[in-house]
Parts: sequence; structure tokens; C-alpha cells
Amino acid sequence: MRKLTRREIVKLASIAGAGVLLPREVEAFGGMIDAIVNKMSEGIKGTVGKDIEIPPPLPGVKFGMVIDLGLCIGCRRCSYGCKLENNVPDTINPPYIMVFQTKYKPGQVMTESDLIDKHKAQGTLKYTRLRHDRMYMPVQCNHCLDAPCTKVCPTKATYKSADGIVMMDYNKCIGCRYCMAACPYGARRFNWSKPVIPAENINPLVPIRTDGVVEKCTFCVHRTRRGHTTKCVEVCPNKARIFGNLNDPDSAVSKKITSERNFRLKVGLNTNPNIYYLTDPKRKPMRWMEPLPLDMNIRGLKS
Amino acid sequence: MKVIKDALGYAAESLRTAGLKYYIYCFVLMIIAGVGLSGAVTALAEGHYHSNMSDMVPWGILISGLAFFIGLSAGATMVGLLIHGFGRDDYHPVGTRAILVGMMCIFAAMGCVMMDVGNPFRAMKIPFLLRNETSMFFISSSSYMGFMALLIAELVSTVYVTIGKAGKRGKKIAKVLGIIAVPYALIVVHSFTGTIFGVVKAREMWNTPLLPVHFVTSALASGFALVILVTIITSWVKKKDLVGKDTYNHMGIMLCFFLIATVFLDTFDYLILSYSGTAEGLETWHIFTGRYLPLFLINMVGLYAALIMTAFKKLRTARGLFWSSSITIIAIAAYRINLISIAQLVPLYHELGEIQYVPNMHEVAPVIGLTAALMLLFAILTKVLPLEDTGH
Ligand code: SF4
Ligand code: SF4
Repeated sequence: MRKLTRREIVKLASIAGAGVLLPREVEAFGGMIDAIVNKMSEGIKGTVGKDIEIPPPLPGVKFGMVIDLGLCIGCRRCSYGCKLENNVPDTINPPYIMVFQTKYKPGQVMTESDLIDKHKAQGTLKYTRLRHDRMYMPVQCNHCLDAPCTKVCPTKATYKSADGIVMMDYNKCIGCRYCMAACPYGARRFNWSKPVIPAENINPLVPIRTDGVVEKCTFCVHRTRRGHTTKCVEVCPNKARIFGNLNDPDSAVSKKITSERNFRLKVGLNTNPNIYYLTDPKRKPMRWMEPLPLDMNIRGLKS
Repeated sequence: MKVIKDALGYAAESLRTAGLKYYIYCFVLMIIAGVGLSGAVTALAEGHYHSNMSDMVPWGILISGLAFFIGLSAGATMVGLLIHGFGRDDYHPVGTRAILVGMMCIFAAMGCVMMDVGNPFRAMKIPFLLRNETSMFFISSSSYMGFMALLIAELVSTVYVTIGKAGKRGKKIAKVLGIIAVPYALIVVHSFTGTIFGVVKAREMWNTPLLPVHFVTSALASGFALVILVTIITSWVKKKDLVGKDTYNHMGIMLCFFLIATVFLDTFDYLILSYSGTAEGLETWHIFTGRYLPLFLINMVGLYAALIMTAFKKLRTARGLFWSSSITIIAIAAYRINLISIAQLVPLYHELGEIQYVPNMHEVAPVIGLTAALMLLFAILTKVLPLEDTGH
């Protein structure tokens, strides 16, 4: 066998030594960089929700929601309730839930009496629509099963949890807004400036975000994982929203989605939304016939 | 040690003998960079509130800048391939400059991303501490770092060859680096940059497997055009041609070839879009031919004009190529702005109505500032580094 030269022995020894040392060294180096970068970013942006505990996902649960468009009256209580519950800053507009006012297809005019006939017997109709010749369409994060936003996020700041909720880790978000570009439902909001929330409105169970991070509907994770329902469901006066466990065949939400009236938004994109809509068979070919000017000032939209 | 001492001595001597015009040029760039980049500092402190981006148009001119500058970096690798792979020694005088141009473009692209993200300090944790392997943004930004490292290695080895300190092995390393940079740039860097947008199924205009191919062809066209432009402008400033007439002719032929591929893809892309049967496709075409018509025309007319110009041998001279290269770069800049903006202007819901986005000075100024800063860095580096044409 050929004798090794001194140089070769030193070379081999250093490679072996590096092999043993490297993982630990790399880890220590990574930790050091992490600490420095955290210090730098915290100095400017701060850390989100250090002392707020987010409950873990409940075993065997897959949350989902049904929105009955026949019952939605366009009052936007869900939108406002959500804003207050989730510490959505005044600097964010539109809120997490947008409620569109849409027209029926020509010739398909829904009258007040239709609604009353349909829902009076069920005892669900407490309020009537904002405009009787219009229908209303709330949209928000669909907590998609195959969520494009979680696939594109470079840092896993947004991720799918076991109970179906698409969550945000605000302390990992770098604010690249790739998730916003990738969401087909326009469900994500960016803190373009430092968030402003009146002190009296702050919910201590929900973290307050910083500027430069994205936020969105969490299916009220602080409530739902503690056995309550979401705020939008709670405040809806006509019970147009139903929330629950899709894994439980006896839950109200599971029963509702067996209805032939059910549909989901943009199914062609295979995002597999966990929010289902119900429409009326009479109004099956529901179309949104014309764009309507919104009565609120939305950044980037003609107001 | 001696090499470093010599290098420092050379750099000091070059800066000492640089004329007044050089210092005035640097000073002007410094002012522009300072003013422009102050916008980025404001954004870091106050957020992007002053920009015209919105929750419906989350990506603005800075992301167009990313796509544009990454494309421009392609020229560097092509020159390396021509020299080392095809033995075109007549490109040698522009070799180091091309690598420097490539490096500056990568810096510019990464700078655009850093100025665009809401939390740039945290973004520095990518790719080692924060990562998601399914994210094209993660893959691309990691690949930019690899590209940067490759270009730095190429620069060092080329400089060693230039000053005659590289032995046989050094020359081989320079050759290997010059050649592998091409597949790395085209397959990894440019294709994956196109894929950032290509995978977004929410936006019909982006969601096509042809987008990475399009990014490669347009990167080659704009990147090579930039190298040509730098060669011509340097020759004018130095009052001495860096390359001969034959090389200009060859440069023109190469540019023409890259333009053919780009024009072909663009033309058929738009043709198919104009026949679109989907609401999103129709809306996209409507915006192209309506609000964004000027940019659309700059893109298409510019590309065709540059293609026709480079097709004629008579126009493949320094003067002719100056115009065709400039037009190519402007046309592809328009394409990048169109691509990024229009896809987001198509409303995700019909009810959102007409979505607006025109970049304002808060967004444009940092891009100009960054460009000026990198032009300054380029001016300094070309002065202090020993280049092929400076007799070292
Ligand atoms: S609706 Fe948008 S934000 Fe919500 S899970 Fe789906 S893709 Fe993500
Ligand atoms: S903005 Fe934040 S959550 Fe969205 S993709 Fe970027 S890092 Fe992920």
C-alpha cells in the first residue's frame, strides 16, 4: 500500500475533523446570525404577540364554513365584527371580509315576498336586504385545502394547520407579498404602514401586527380552538353563516354542504376551499352582471 | 501578499490619474443615488404606505425591476461562453466588463427585492434560517446568491488571467467557470425567475409554462444588448474601439438571434391572448389595448424595430448597434412592467371594478437611486481593476 505523505494525512484529518465539528459549528453560526438579524428587525418592526398563546389544533377537527347567499342581507356586520375581534387596524382597507352587492341576471328579480315565503317558516329571517333587487356576496379567506399562498411563501410564515386553518406566523413574514399575488380570492392584507387600532378596541387575545407583514382571516383561531364559533357567525343577524367541523357528519356545517345548492368559488383552480356557498335553485345561473362602485375607499380601486 | 499590494498600488494610481470628468460623473451619480435611495430608507421606517401599491396590486415597479435586472445579468454569461466556449478571443477586451455588468445587475435585482419587502432584515435569513422549498421565490433568491458567488469567482479568475498571474490551472478554472455560468444562469436563474410568476394560477396572464422560456429569451436579448451598449459607450469615452468591426457585426447577429426568439414568443403570446375565451383573458387584452397601450406599443414596436435594425449588416456598426441595443432594453423594460402590472389589474372579482396602478415617485426614485449607485460602483470597479484593454 502506498504510504501517505504528511500533507495528505493533515488533509484527511482536517476533513474528518470538519465533518464532526461542522454541524455544531454551523448550528452555532446560524444561531448567532439569527440573533443578530432578530435584533436588527425587532429594532425597527418589533415582535408580534410574544405573550399571546395560540391554542394548538384540536385533534380530528377540520373547520369549514357555509354561507347561505339566500340569507345574506348585505348588512356587513360580519365584516365589522371581524375587524373588532381580530384587531384589524384602521389602516387596513378593505377589511378581511368584503361584501359585494351584485345584480341578478336580467329577468331574475328576487322579491321581498320570495324571501319571506322561503324563510319565514324557518324562523330565520329577522332582517331584510339592504336593497331588495340586489343580492349580496361576502368573500374572505377560504382556508383552501390546497392553498396556493402556503406553497409560495418563501419562509413558511403562512402554513396549513391540521384543523384546516391557514395560519400566519407574523414573526416569520418578510413582507414579500407573494402570498397576496398568489391568492385567487384577494383575501390577504398587507400592513402598508404602522397599524392603527384605537386602544379601547384592542382584543387582548389576538396579537397586534407590525407594519411590513401580511395578515388575513384566521377563522378566529383564538375562539374556535377554544370551542367557540367565529365572530362573523356570531354577529350575523340572519344566520347566513354556519361554522363547524367538516369531519363530523352530524355537524350543521356538514349537513348544509350536502345541499345541491352548494358551490365553491373558483373551483377550477383546484384550491379546494373550505368555505362553501349556498344559492337558490331558482337562481342557479347566478351571475354578477355589472361591476358596482364601492362606497368605501379601497386602496388601488376607484372609489 | 504581493498581489494585494500590487493591486492596491494599481488602484490608487488609477484613481489618482483619473481625470476631472470622471470625478464629476461619479459625483453626479452619488447625488442621484443618495436622493433616490433616501426613498428606500423612508419605506423601511414608515412602510410602503406612500407607494401606489395596494392589497389588490401587491407587486409594483420594484418587482418589475427584479425581473428586468435579473434579465440584464444574462449578457455577462454569454460573453464568457463566447470567449471560453467558442474561442472568440475578439470578445476578450469586454470579458471583465461583462462580468462586472452582470454582477451589478444581480445587485440591482436583489436590491429591488430588499427595498420591496416589508421586513428586509428578516429577509436576510433566507435561505439558511428561513426556507420553504416549494416557494419559487425561495428557490430564485437562493439561486441569485449562487449566481453572485459564481460571478465573483469568474471575476477573480479573469483578473488573475489578465494580470498574467494565473498558471495553466488558473486559466482552466477561468474557462470552466465561464462555461458553467451559462447553463446555471439560463436554467436556474432566469427560468426560475419566470417560474415565480408562472406558478401563480390566480393570475391567468402569468400562469403559463412558456413564461420561463420567455424569461430566458428576453433575458438574453436585453442582457446582450446591455453588454453591447457598455462596449460602445466605453469605446466612445476612451476614444478607442474596444472591439473591431467584425466583433460588432457578430454582436449584432447574436442580438438579432435573441430578438427573433423574443419577438416570436411575444407575438404569438399576444395573438393567442387576443382570442381568449375567458373573462380574465378578455379583460387582460382589454387593458393591454386600452390603459396600457403606450407600454404595449413600446414593447412590440421596439422589439420589431430592433430586430429589423440588427438584421441589416449595414446597421451592425457601433452607431447602429447603439440604437438597436438601447431600443431592445427599453422594449424589454416595458414588457416587464406590463407583465407584472397588468396581471394584477385584472380584478379577482368582477365586483372590484377597475383596479388602478401607476407607480409614483416613492417607488420609482429608489429604482433610479439604486441604478445610479450601481453605475457608480461599476465606474469605480472598472477604474481600480486591471482590465483586458488597460494593458495589464
Ligand atoms: S383564500 Fe387565499 S389566503 Fe385563504 S387559504 Fe386560499 S389562497 Fe390562502
Ligand atoms: S408576505 Fe409573508 S406570508 Fe406572504 S409569502 Fe411573503 S413571507 Fe410569506
